[in-house]
Amino acid sequence: MQFDSIEEILDFAIGKEMEAHDMYMDIAGKVKRPGLEKTFLELAQMELGHKARLEQVKAGDLSGFAAGEVQNLKISDHLVDVKPHPNMDYQEALLFAMKAEQRAHDLYVDLARATSDPGLRELFKGLAKEELKHKLFFETEYDDVILEGN
Amino acid sequence: MSLKNTLAPFSAWMQAFSKPFTVPDEPGVRPGAPRYRGWHINDRETCIGCGTCAEICQNVAIDMVPVDEPTKGDSGLRPKVDYGRCCWCALCVDVCPSGSLAMSNEYVWVDHDGDAFRYTPGVDEKPWDGAELGWRKDEGFDIVDHERVPMGHLDPEERIHTWAEVVVGYTEEEARREAARCVECGLCVAACPAHMHIPDYIAAIRDGDDVRALNVIYDNNSMPEMCGKVCTRRCESVCSIGVNGDPLAIRWLKRYVTERFDDLKSVLDVDVERVGEGRKIAVIGGGPSGITVAYYLAIRGFEVTIHEALPQLGGATFFGIPKYRFPMPSLEKQIKLLEDAGVKIVTNHRVEGDELRRMLEENDAVFIGTGLMKPYRLGAEGEDLPGVVYALDLLRDKNIGREVEVGERVVVVGGGNVAIDAARVSRRLGAEVTIAYRRRIVDMPADDEEIEDAEAEGVEIIPQAIPLRVERTDDGRLDFVWGPAEMVPSDRGRPRPKLIEGVEHHMVVDRVIVAIGQSADHSWMPPDIAEKVADAKGWITVDHNGMTGHRGIFAGGDLVNDTADAISAIADGLRAVEGIQRFLGILPEREETEPEIPVITVR
Repeated sequence: MQFDSIEEILDFAIGKEMEAHDMYMDIAGKVKRPGLEKTFLELAQMELGHKARLEQVKAGDLSGFAAGEVQNLKISDHLVDVKPHPNMDYQEALLFAMKAEQRAHDLYVDLARATSDPGLRELFKGLAKEELKHKLFFETEYDDVILEGN
Repeated sequence: MSLKNTLAPFSAWMQAFSKPFTVPDEPGVRPGAPRYRGWHINDRETCIGCGTCAEICQNVAIDMVPVDEPTKGDSGLRPKVDYGRCCWCALCVDVCPSGSLAMSNEYVWVDHDGDAFRYTPGVDEKPWDGAELGWRKDEGFDIVDHERVPMGHLDPEERIHTWAEVVVGYTEEEARREAARCVECGLCVAACPAHMHIPDYIAAIRDGDDVRALNVIYDNNSMPEMCGKVCTRRCESVCSIGVNGDPLAIRWLKRYVTERFDDLKSVLDVDVERVGEGRKIAVIGGGPSGITVAYYLAIRGFEVTIHEALPQLGGATFFGIPKYRFPMPSLEKQIKLLEDAGVKIVTNHRVEGDELRRMLEENDAVFIGTGLMKPYRLGAEGEDLPGVVYALDLLRDKNIGREVEVGERVVVVGGGNVAIDAARVSRRLGAEVTIAYRRRIVDMPADDEEIEDAEAEGVEIIPQAIPLRVERTDDGRLDFVWGPAEMVPSDRGRPRPKLIEGVEHHMVVDRVIVAIGQSADHSWMPPDIAEKVADAKGWITVDHNGMTGHRGIFAGGDLVNDTADAISAIADGLRAVEGIQRFLGILPEREETEPEIPVITVR
């Protein structure tokens, strides 16, 4: 993947958030479990929020980025990915979301490693941290709800 | 008039110039003796508002007055002393279970306002607050016996070779002795989700009136023998005697009484108005919440039918709890009472398709208490290998009477009561058992006693162990791979485990038993109804009457509350019993001041 400017990178990241939004919207229309449609619609809405933050960054406001260290609970790292299906339950929905954020995080980490431009590297790291923050949100929910007894 | 009488007033005046007979010292110059029983002091923070001081005061000099909002184990009340009545006997100090009440050695107090001599120590500021001298309870002395009458248990070595009950039970003499320790403060009533009338039935046991005790117990619990054996006993956690000693063995006392009688119907003296004649109620799920609804509505004249998917009523107390904790005859006795009350029981019947809709048309109300029957998945690689099983399935199969084998070596993943049950059952099936738990032992949701019993039976617990994957070994066994965790702080309370990278441990086992939790399965409901009553996590939200978002459908138990214990399910059932009557116009709407879980009696 080749990027020539910071703007291109941010456009790429914004596109990724929109992809995630569309994916959650699509799943929301398919799931059968009561209440889960709402959960996916909320996830889609969250992605729009992420997109808006990136647009802020693009406009020059770097405060949109996550500040400080973001905790990585590593819950999803050793869990098996799931494919969305109409009968998925809350555990699967969380697993799916955690894995999606994990993949986005890993992508930016790889891009940061691949670039020699220090400015671009910092931007990729910032984006990776953002995705880690999203992953932490789902991992926290998974830890509190699914793994409450473990 | 004699001359002496005439001069008397003048003689009296002369005394004014004589040396006084009274003590000439100024007030306060002579300090009180170090152990003087003077004005009361109370440590507001240590005091739990149990009211034992007020109870023992023979002069009725102490009133309990509201000071703070009630919290778990603290009524929010504090003693207010009336010194017009107090005789400074210090019984209140000597009996105080928390040790918060004492007396200063101050005894002089001048005030022209008579009302000032009624004050709340520790709340109304006084000069003697914090006084170090004065009357204190003697070290090692207490009116109340702090030591619980011990309960007999089978020896751990013996236990793992039998399915017999582990707990032996109190003898009559032991029960009376234990009951006599109760100070009848009633903090337990507030802590019990069902608000059982605990001090009343314990007083009856103490007085040797077991029939009365049983009747009081059945006021608001139709599964007390189960609670007497496996209750999570929130009541004991707030027992005022427990502040400085062993809490009263409330659970074991309930067990004692309920085990005394085989034919419950002949002992229970139910006297309630049959207000439900001609009304029909369908109960879906025969667990503690459903049984509660069925019994308390049936005795009120409702025509109640319970629909249960399994071959026996009891819910998790039937299929989940091992028989060495809650034996089948105990459950059968309680089901017999339901039948005697006129409840129609349909077992082996899973409600499906449009049946719920039909039930709504054919009944005046429907209660759902189907519990959490769908286990959460481990989520790790290898979970679908043969030999990886779910604790709920294992426990159910064992309790139903199916042949269950676990091999020689078992690892149980989880830290709740289900995990402990699965581990102890596996021990009895002959396996060496290890529990792998992600957090610290102190974080385990399982009952402390259960954890201790499991360890005594030889179950090994590995804390901070995160399952990574399960692999098949060459000889057909399972390699359970786990990694160590470090605990990281969380802004939501208990720390969270985080995998320490690069370290893997291997455990070769015959079974991996997954017991990390369970969720509800609403696939049996018509989707449009499910959408109205349940959320994404499977929880059902109910209002103050126990009614869901769908008119006429009530719910309770593990689906509704997050405590996942039987007594909370019973409390949900009690709420629905009143709620259904309100819904049908039999009872007036609930006043805001009334508690959500009703305090009821059936005598």
